[in-house]
Amino acid sequence: MVNAQQLELLIQNTLEPTHIEIQDMSGGCGQNFEVIIVSPLFEGKSTLARHRLVNHKLQEVIKDIHAFTQKCYSPAQWEALQAK
Amino acid sequence: MSVEITFVEQFQEILQNGKEQIILLNFYAPWAAPCKQMNQVFDQFAKDTKNAVFLKIEAEKFSDIAESFDVNAVPLFVLIHGAKVLARISGANPQKLKAAIDEYIQPLISQISSTNASVETQVNSVQTTNTTSNTSKAPNGLDSELNERLSTLTNAHNVMLFLKGTPSEPACGFSRKLVGLLREQNVQYGFFNILADDSVRQGLKVFSDWPTFPQLYIKGEFVGGLDIVSEMIENGELQEMLPN
Repeated sequence: MVNAQQLELLIQNTLEPTHIEIQDMSGGCGQNFEVIIVSPLFEGKSTLARHRLVNHKLQEVIKDIHAFTQKCYSPAQWEALQAK
Repeated sequence: MSVEITFVEQFQEILQNGKEQIILLNFYAPWAAPCKQMNQVFDQFAKDTKNAVFLKIEAEKFSDIAESFDVNAVPLFVLIHGAKVLARISGANPQKLKAAIDEYIQPLISQISSTNASVETQVNSVQTTNTTSNTSKAPNGLDSELNERLSTLTNAHNVMLFLKGTPSEPACGFSRKLVGLLREQNVQYGFFNILADDSVRQGLKVFSDWPTFPQLYIKGEFVGGLDIVSEMIENGELQEMLPN
């Protein structure tokens, strides 16, 4: 069983995020998460490379989750997005 | 050279006249990307191989011929001699096709010319030939033959989609969605139905280091699955990668 707090802690420890949003889409049973991660680690990386990085860093919990959806932004992209 | 069958009687006549020859049949569908690639391979083999007849048969157009050879999926290659089926090679695998040609066409020709034994005996002895293969590993851990095959498949078109089912009949929601996205973007692509070949299905997960399907490749490089391609369309990344 995975909960949002565990996921947030792992993201904090591995991905140097400046912003995290986690939604448990499964109504609390920890099987379906959507996350937004903003981190300077994503600068200059393709979308695929970002997903690979996240999948690798979070693999110990992702393997226990049925569905995991992610959006990864560099801080500059996130600021531009927020400005819209 | 290879011959494209254009009418049923032509096929029957070639079989009748070619009873002493080895004939290699290529059942294909013109819309299927693996078949297009294999047709090029087939045509090249036809040029390189003497004393054999290479026939191309559009499976849906000549469904009676296809049915008589139990064609369930294309491409399918059937090697025949007189009334005997010597080998069936299924799927887009140039190495397997080449191996069958080397095993059956070249040896049989040389045996016919070197002995007076009956054709029946020669065919039987050829059929019992045992092929020894050397298996080596590619850097990613895949069998090198499979790795080479996957490399060929992913380069079959500038843009290649590996999906469950076909673009017109996707077998899962994610494949259907990605087909829809590519259509909206007016992307031209080839495709491969992974449900038709489990070694491709399992091999690609290693090849791409990506666990799920559909998978999109551009110029042989894995680009992403549905989520990633969707995101790439939003941020303009996909359009930049596409060849003009």
